Amino acid sequence: MRCAALRRRAAVALVVVAGAVGCMSSSETVTLVTAILPGELPAYRAVVGEFEHATGTRVMVIPQQYADVRRAIAAETAAGQGTIDLAELDVYSLAAAASDVVVLDASSLRVILDVLDPAAVRAGTIDGLRFLPHRVSWQAMIYDHAILGAPPATWDQLVAVARAHPGKIGFKGALYEGLTCDVLPFVWSAGGDGVRFDDAGARAAFGLFHELAPYVNQESATFKEGAIVEAMARGELVLHLNWPFAMSWYATQGLAPDRIRSAPLPRGPAGRATVLGGGYLGIPRHAPHPARARALLEYLLSREAQTRLGRELGWFSARRDVPVGQGGDLLAGFVAMRDAVHPRPERPDYVRRSRAWQRAFRAVVFDGGDPEKTLHDAARDAGDRG
Amino acid sequence: MERRRDPSSALLAGPLVLFLVFLLGYPMLWAVRLAFTDTLTGAVPSIENYRALWGDRLFWQATAGNLVIPLISVALELVAGVGLALLLAARMPARRLVRALVVVPFALPEIVFLAIARSILTPRGYANGVLAALGLGPIAFLVPGRATTYLTVIVVDAWHTTPVVFLIVLGALAAIPKQIHEAAELDGARGWRHLVYVTLPLLRPALIAAVLVRGLDAFRIFAAPLVLAGVEGAPVLSTYAYHQWSDYGDDGAAAATSVVLALLCVVVSVPLLGRRAARADLA
Repeated sequence: MRCAALRRRAAVALVVVAGAVGCMSSSETVTLVTAILPGELPAYRAVVGEFEHATGTRVMVIPQQYADVRRAIAAETAAGQGTIDLAELDVYSLAAAASDVVVLDASSLRVILDVLDPAAVRAGTIDGLRFLPHRVSWQAMIYDHAILGAPPATWDQLVAVARAHPGKIGFKGALYEGLTCDVLPFVWSAGGDGVRFDDAGARAAFGLFHELAPYVNQESATFKEGAIVEAMARGELVLHLNWPFAMSWYATQGLAPDRIRSAPLPRGPAGRATVLGGGYLGIPRHAPHPARARALLEYLLSREAQTRLGRELGWFSARRDVPVGQGGDLLAGFVAMRDAVHPRPERPDYVRRSRAWQRAFRAVVFDGGDPEKTLHDAARDAGDRG
Repeated sequence: MERRRDPSSALLAGPLVLFLVFLLGYPMLWAVRLAFTDTLTGAVPSIENYRALWGDRLFWQATAGNLVIPLISVALELVAGVGLALLLAARMPARRLVRALVVVPFALPEIVFLAIARSILTPRGYANGVLAALGLGPIAFLVPGRATTYLTVIVVDAWHTTPVVFLIVLGALAAIPKQIHEAAELDGARGWRHLVYVTLPLLRPALIAAVLVRGLDAFRIFAAPLVLAGVEGAPVLSTYAYHQWSDYGDDGAAAATSVVLALLCVVVSVPLLGRRAARADLA
């Protein structure tokens, strides 16, 4: 009987303590959902740990893919309640997720906004300032230095490399946004605006694609970022376009920077161009701790945090007072492209246009379509023509 | 005398009914609603999703692929399954071991089987390695959009699921009384004639069951084309729906595609099920 009484008291005490800890945790915890890789988590946690130490607020970092983050905050909006305090989204999906996050008070963020790249801030401004750049990214050319020696610097040199190495030029040719990221830089570097399918830039770019088509690796039709990185590691490609993560991966495999290196994209008739990517932070509509989320947001965009993320994770910052490319020679090609970064067209029909670019590229490169006719059909698909 | 219904039978069926309603019925109705919801404006009902599918060349490729791939794959499985069953029904050394080996492809988890197949058939895979060693040129087994790619997906899928047909037919063969075979042989039906005029007609119910089981499953094919060739390589409706959901975030188009696939399955299965029901009634 005495034992039973003791057990009852221990159980009650346990429940009280658990409840107290639970309540304490929920009032001092901020949930941050971000698309970081498993290998990046320890370093990221250490950066976030500085904020925890300074404010006494515990930060729960949840790695998720961008698509899952978008679905989660959309679900919380529909449900009218949520658990996510701060969410990171791909720059491509900001417009679609704009209604699921709150508008930030730009006047109180002036100190940060003044040091951010204006193009990066513009990408996060949709009916008001809703997202701020957690990290920015852009593509560069990744080439096999052991085979090519020097990377092609112009479109003519690119065609020459393709002819010398048939089947070894790769594009991220699957039907997804990554293909648009491979197409638009060539359109822009030929003077196109990335919106119209019939301007001189688009025609020049697709003329180039038509010329490259016989030499493109046919498996490119299904390549995405991961598959193309692996194809190059296996020696099936000598050249492709990709994001900085690829160089980090090659370095872990011992392939970079000795064999595989980064370089600026080849110069077109109007110069060089690359597409802006990256992750942006927003506070969901039903964030349980919006004030703490705002504090965490300001910390993550501070000079100290951004410098550390750049140094330890090789991330690029939108802050103009944080040096880009602290990863040494590995990211030299990316650093050289900084001034040639373009955001994707900020239009409500961007998704439709993006799909039209993707289909046009595939029609020309994989189906042998005529560039002029293909672009005409793309304009019609995008609603430019009757 | 009328048989009285036991009220407790309804109660016992209750959990199953609830399960079907909440985990099958409700999601199905929601998916149909989503299929008729404009993804951009949220308007219901709307045929915008179906309009988008109608104008998408990849959707039509996927529809054609969803008709051709299951048809040829199931035909291959029937031929191979019946052949293996006839071969392994006879007394032979190590019969049980061989039967177990035949079932191995189906026993492996599908993703493992497909990963192995892909590593064999990629441009620098083992298959082309063997061809190179024999002095022959490489074959583009998995290059997107080619006839060889479709053929590769069909053969790999058939290879994986032939054991299902094999087991169904093997069981049916074992159920045929020996006396029928003996009587047929006494009447002069041997070899090919025995197979065509005696064995196959007796296997007909099992073959129809195999076609039903495999046929409906084959229409839902997803993993084989996706893993081997990607969404664009050998598109079928399920991979197209996945592509809309995963790559474009377009839930409405994905749901619309799923509705089309479900209708296709119904159109194919109703005649088969109707014939079986008619035969059951006659019996």
